[in-house]
Amino acid sequence: MSSEQILALLPILVTSAASVVVMLLVALKRSHGLVFGVTVGSLLVALAAIGSSVSVMPQAVSSLLIMDRFALLYIGLILAATLAVALLSYAYLESRAERREEYYILLLLAAAGSEVLAAAGSYVSFFLGLEILSISLYGLVAYRRQTPLGIEAGVKYLILAGASSGFILFGMALIYAEQGSLQFAALAAAKGSSFDVVSLVGFALIVVGVGFKLAVVPFHLWTPDVYQGAPAPVTAFVATVSKGAMFALLLRYFIQLDLYQYGAVVLVFGIIAALSILAGNILGLLQNNVKRMLAYSSIAHVGYLLVALLASGPLAVSSVTFYLIAYFITNLGAFGVVGYLSSGEREAEEIDDYRGLAWRRPWVAGALTASLLSLAGIPLTAGFIGKFFIIAAGAGSRLWALLIILVVGSVVSFFYYFRLVLAIFREPDAGAQVPYPSASLAGGIALSVLTLLLVWLGVYPAPLVNLLGGMTSGLL
Amino acid sequence: MFPVFYVAGLVALVSTVMVVTRRNPIHALLYFILSLVAVAVIFLDAGAPFVAALEVIIYAGAIMVLFIFVVMLLNPGVALVIRAREWIGPAILSLLLTLGIVYSVVGSTIKTMGISATTPKDIAMALFGPYLLGVELASLLLLAGLVAAYHLGRRIEREAPARGASLQPGAPVGSGAPSSRKEGA
Amino acid sequence: MRQYPIDYGLVLSAVLFAIGMAGVFVRRNVIFVLLCIEIMLNAAGLAFVLGGARWGQADGQVMFIFILAMAAAEVSVGLALIMRMFHRFKSLDTNEIARMKG
Repeated sequence: MSSEQILALLPILVTSAASVVVMLLVALKRSHGLVFGVTVGSLLVALAAIGSSVSVMPQAVSSLLIMDRFALLYIGLILAATLAVALLSYAYLESRAERREEYYILLLLAAAGSEVLAAAGSYVSFFLGLEILSISLYGLVAYRRQTPLGIEAGVKYLILAGASSGFILFGMALIYAEQGSLQFAALAAAKGSSFDVVSLVGFALIVVGVGFKLAVVPFHLWTPDVYQGAPAPVTAFVATVSKGAMFALLLRYFIQLDLYQYGAVVLVFGIIAALSILAGNILGLLQNNVKRMLAYSSIAHVGYLLVALLASGPLAVSSVTFYLIAYFITNLGAFGVVGYLSSGEREAEEIDDYRGLAWRRPWVAGALTASLLSLAGIPLTAGFIGKFFIIAAGAGSRLWALLIILVVGSVVSFFYYFRLVLAIFREPDAGAQVPYPSASLAGGIALSVLTLLLVWLGVYPAPLVNLLGGMTSGLL
Repeated sequence: MFPVFYVAGLVALVSTVMVVTRRNPIHALLYFILSLVAVAVIFLDAGAPFVAALEVIIYAGAIMVLFIFVVMLLNPGVALVIRAREWIGPAILSLLLTLGIVYSVVGSTIKTMGISATTPKDIAMALFGPYLLGVELASLLLLAGLVAAYHLGRRIEREAPARGASLQPGAPVGSGAPSSRKEGA
Repeated sequence: MRQYPIDYGLVLSAVLFAIGMAGVFVRRNVIFVLLCIEIMLNAAGLAFVLGGARWGQADGQVMFIFILAMAAAEVSVGLALIMRMFHRFKSLDTNEIARMKG
């Protein structure tokens, strides 16, 4: 491992070293504030370390990881999202009797796993990154281990994620048995000879496993229960970083193996995207639990992302990445508010918990409204620009059917987003005043930064678009 | 010439089917250990002696023993009386396996049909050559499993108010809104 | 000596994988579901080692070692969750603990 390779790996090294440091710290002295401070500090150092690896990129590190512009951008996104989740978690954990310090160790490990996933260049690192992410998420999802909902969510996520890892692993094994190499690049070269049956079955199994992780329609049954049972900041993490890292890998896999040319693959992903958009939005209408509603909306948004993924061409990668960034900011904001308002006794889950929020907590109401508008794709928000990009990319490669479904889905989604917005601005009935926990500094900072980003990207997206412009050129 | 692969394959298949169909978790676990040993014999026969040993030592020896330990601990109404006639099935399968192992091990070289055995040296070269990073990531994986299992498995103190004594005796009272209430209704 | 029956080995691992997958969907008891996930992982490990033997590379067996690490971590977390579940719900049946709906 030459010094350049170590320099290129710096963000991942810093994150994993941070998890070990935090663990030793917990062994020495259990204090929530200290552990929180070290976690936030190390995430900032890791973000800064990306600057160093940009100087030596693109760098293929020992056939497992490829640190190029694409990977570094997603690693930066993952670290920023983990930072936001950590900030949102402080107040949430403070008001609970659980032991708090293990949460940050698992959070850092999950972030390290996602980074490895985003930079994976071979099936080995794909598998290891996925497993580090999954196993730390088992601990995080079931973190409220004494409440029945927490345990149920943990068991459900464990079973389904375990089974999906089994599918992915067996798919990889079949492809390896046929192709003889574990590298993506070697497979891209070898695919000149048409894929034989066993590799196709292997690829189909991997798609099933990835579908579980992305919670697209045929494999989305676990999503509402796990989103509701898990702590709110963990739900934000699952909805954003876990899906984002898997999407980064899918994108690299698609482009490197140039799967656009296979009609069957495009058809399968098209059907999955269409089903996700329709089912996600329609089922979202029926919910009055905010967490479950946001779970179904995240299923629909992955459907929009798949539409962008299918739109091949230069615009595809930048439109996917832009929409993913907008999706990250919006969902972190929405779930952050849910966590912000959840106190030790009860989670702010039902819609009437938010009735008259505007009068009692104007700033928090503003943040939630901005996120909901962006989810719906209203102009002047990042969500609108993202959707606009996807429609442009989709039109570019004539995916008319999918675009129509996308528009129909978005219209349907207006209803359940605005139902919550209306509840926020309705007169607070004098009766049941839902007790909100006291304001927290860390959570406040995170929410305000997210809302500012949301509006800034909606109004002036040019700098980010140029940054994403040279994306495909950097792809090894 | 003893068809090691086919016998071990048959044993693995039969014991795995028995695993899924049992009602009693302990019987299922023992059948699964038998299936693991059968797969280990296939590895031995396929020219992977190191991995065969690993499978028996780690998978059957450590992971499944942990599994049995926890199932015994929980003891969800498990009828543990094993009547004589229940021994016939496992006995036959184990006998077949023993023949397979004996045939494979007898004689110095590993008799594999047309396969050059990959010695532990090759694996070690691969593990600490190109896959060094993979070994580090596997250690992170085990760390995540360790911390998650510790947090979830830890015993819950009886009285657990939000702040103060329950967490750790003599804990400094942290900042933030201490809302003490009965834990986990 | 004729060619080693790698293809039969892959068929065997596919059948074992199918049995494990059936077990995951059919069985209600969480212990059995976790055990069936282990069957699936073991079948994938078998396929990897046979793939490695076929191409004469050590990569298959290296991957098997990583699968071992993953199976160990998953079983430890799974069993911790099972103990927590048994402690809280007094039952290991997945239907029983379904509190959330809709």
